[in-house]
Amino acid sequence: MRSARRGTVITGLALLGLTGVYIRALVYTPMERLQGLAQKIFYVHAPAAWAALLAFAVTGLFSLLYLITRDRKFDLVASSSAEVGVAFSLVMLTTGPLWGKPVWGTWWTWDARLTSTLFIFLLFVGYLVLRGAFNDFEIRARFSAVLGVMALVLVPFIHVTVYWFRTLHPEPVLLKPDRPSLPGVMLTTLLISIGVFTALYVGFMMQRHALTVLRDIRDEETVDANA
Amino acid sequence: MTHADPSLTLHGVFRRFGYRWVVRDVSLDVAHGEAVLLVGGNGAGKTTLLRVVSGLLKASKGRVERQGAVGMVAHHTMMYDALTARENLRFFGRLHGRSDRTRIDALLDRMGLLHVGDERIGTFSRGMLQRLAIARALLPEPRVLLLDEPLTGLDDSASRTVVEVLAELKRGGAGMMIASHQLVELVGSADRVGYMVGGRMAALEPCGDAGQVVQRYRELADRG
Amino acid sequence: MGSYETLRVALAIAAKDLLVEQRTKTAFFSSLVFAILVLTILYFARDATAVSDLDLAPGALWVTFTFAGMLGLNRAFLLERENRAVDGLRLSPATPTGIFLGKVLGNLVFVGVVELVSLPLFILFYDVPIWRQLGLLLLVIFLATTGFVAVGTLFSAIVVRTRFSEVMLPVLLLPFLFPPIVAAVQLTRRIVALRPFDELTGWLSMLAAFVVIFFFLSLLLFEAILEE
Repeated sequence: MRSARRGTVITGLALLGLTGVYIRALVYTPMERLQGLAQKIFYVHAPAAWAALLAFAVTGLFSLLYLITRDRKFDLVASSSAEVGVAFSLVMLTTGPLWGKPVWGTWWTWDARLTSTLFIFLLFVGYLVLRGAFNDFEIRARFSAVLGVMALVLVPFIHVTVYWFRTLHPEPVLLKPDRPSLPGVMLTTLLISIGVFTALYVGFMMQRHALTVLRDIRDEETVDANA
Repeated sequence: MTHADPSLTLHGVFRRFGYRWVVRDVSLDVAHGEAVLLVGGNGAGKTTLLRVVSGLLKASKGRVERQGAVGMVAHHTMMYDALTARENLRFFGRLHGRSDRTRIDALLDRMGLLHVGDERIGTFSRGMLQRLAIARALLPEPRVLLLDEPLTGLDDSASRTVVEVLAELKRGGAGMMIASHQLVELVGSADRVGYMVGGRMAALEPCGDAGQVVQRYRELADRG
Repeated sequence: MGSYETLRVALAIAAKDLLVEQRTKTAFFSSLVFAILVLTILYFARDATAVSDLDLAPGALWVTFTFAGMLGLNRAFLLERENRAVDGLRLSPATPTGIFLGKVLGNLVFVGVVELVSLPLFILFYDVPIWRQLGLLLLVIFLATTGFVAVGTLFSAIVVRTRFSEVMLPVLLLPFLFPPIVAAVQLTRRIVALRPFDELTGWLSMLAAFVVIFFFLSLLLFEAILEE
């Protein structure tokens, strides 16, 4: 399938890009004065969080599209995105503590963004577990789409809840109303990394989606052959 | 065969579960006061077809037109074990907007269950449950009656009661589809027989006696 | 089907559920005993010299309500699934809206009664000076329980179609209980500490927004769960 091959190419390029980002981060981007070397994790951590959030939004929106149109192709996109999203949220959840320990002095903090991502991860896993519980693809698609839409509405609530509870995370460094507080070079590295992670997401998605479609065709042919 | 004013019409109905097509391209209409007997092996699609006709399942393709309320009797009682026969009928009657006591008593009486009306149905025998399920199906005064193995688990006298009730409803103008293996008991009630093979309606013919129906079914099933 | 019809169907379904519950009583008593056990265990699961009763009480109350309520919700659609009674509902003129409202109402009464019976025990066990603020606490309980039950009813209809429904329900449902429970705990904390009302308004409006949004979302999505 062509989209699978194209996805492989994009993934390959993105992985090369990731190497480039790290060379740039380690060699050409200045050391953060207070956080030291640990801050370099940030160039993976934040973009992975972005990719997980993107995956989550895609799952939610395509779930909604599925419920409206009942067209299976939307379900295949939603579920592929959920699987890819699990990977990215895991990266985010593991790099967070690695950075947090030297900088904050604690592995884990219940800050709004970290907690929201933890919930996104848990919701993704719940979504995939639920999908595994049904054999009939129509029921699987319909029921998991309901969960996908519910989860999309839930996450802002979780974010506000934790934010109100307390927040310890550094202020948003990127989209500050006046001007970004991150020095120019670091910001460029971060933005490149975000671009690379987006490409990585797209590459993974295309491959995962192609696999889903192929699996679907195989199952359909198996049943027809037995009929 | 087409009727001027059928109680039930199926236009090219298909239904799939997952990747499997369970009902394929079934078209027929059932006149008022007519009964169509569905005959076919296990997995031939009879139950699924009846569920699609009832509206419980959506057709994957094609459509079903029903005139008036539908009553259905299926493998499950569709009732609550913890409630009494009367409470069950009253509850479903309420949903249909007909829960008056005299009517419920009349239905219980008709199915020979008046004396156990205040007992929980969890204690009922299979035959009693089946008769109660028929009473429930009759609550909305259905113009279309769908019966999936209505005589399973019934002894001779209970079977006769059910066959009598069906005859009465037919005279009253209800259209029926009955899926059953109990041909001897039911051929008398049926006007036509639909032979289901592999999800398709292999033939739809006037009903002969039980021997003829079995003979014809084997012919069609062998042909595949 | 008009709104009067929908209401009539909802009331019939809720009355039926409660009648079944009153017959068997198993779910009610298990939930209640469970609630008392959780309250007791949480009381002892702390360092009594470091954490006072009053500090512990709000969290204990809502953990108890959440888990006891979930026990009840699990069986909400089991009943309909058992003899495929849900097919009987779907063959009737009852709309998905009517069925959803009926199930929510039945569950609300069920969970509400469990809560109201365990509330005095909570006040007794944790020695909470709540009597003057009881109305406010009941409002918070009502709001959080309504949100919890609406989402829980939808999910209970989903998981009843899976094999391990009793495990699946908490996994799917608990993330959705996080905002209302945290809000309810924060509110309860302020209420038992006799804080002024304007310290409540923030969390209270968040809780209310959650309940309204998720109630209607669950109602809308329920139709997609019911069809086959």
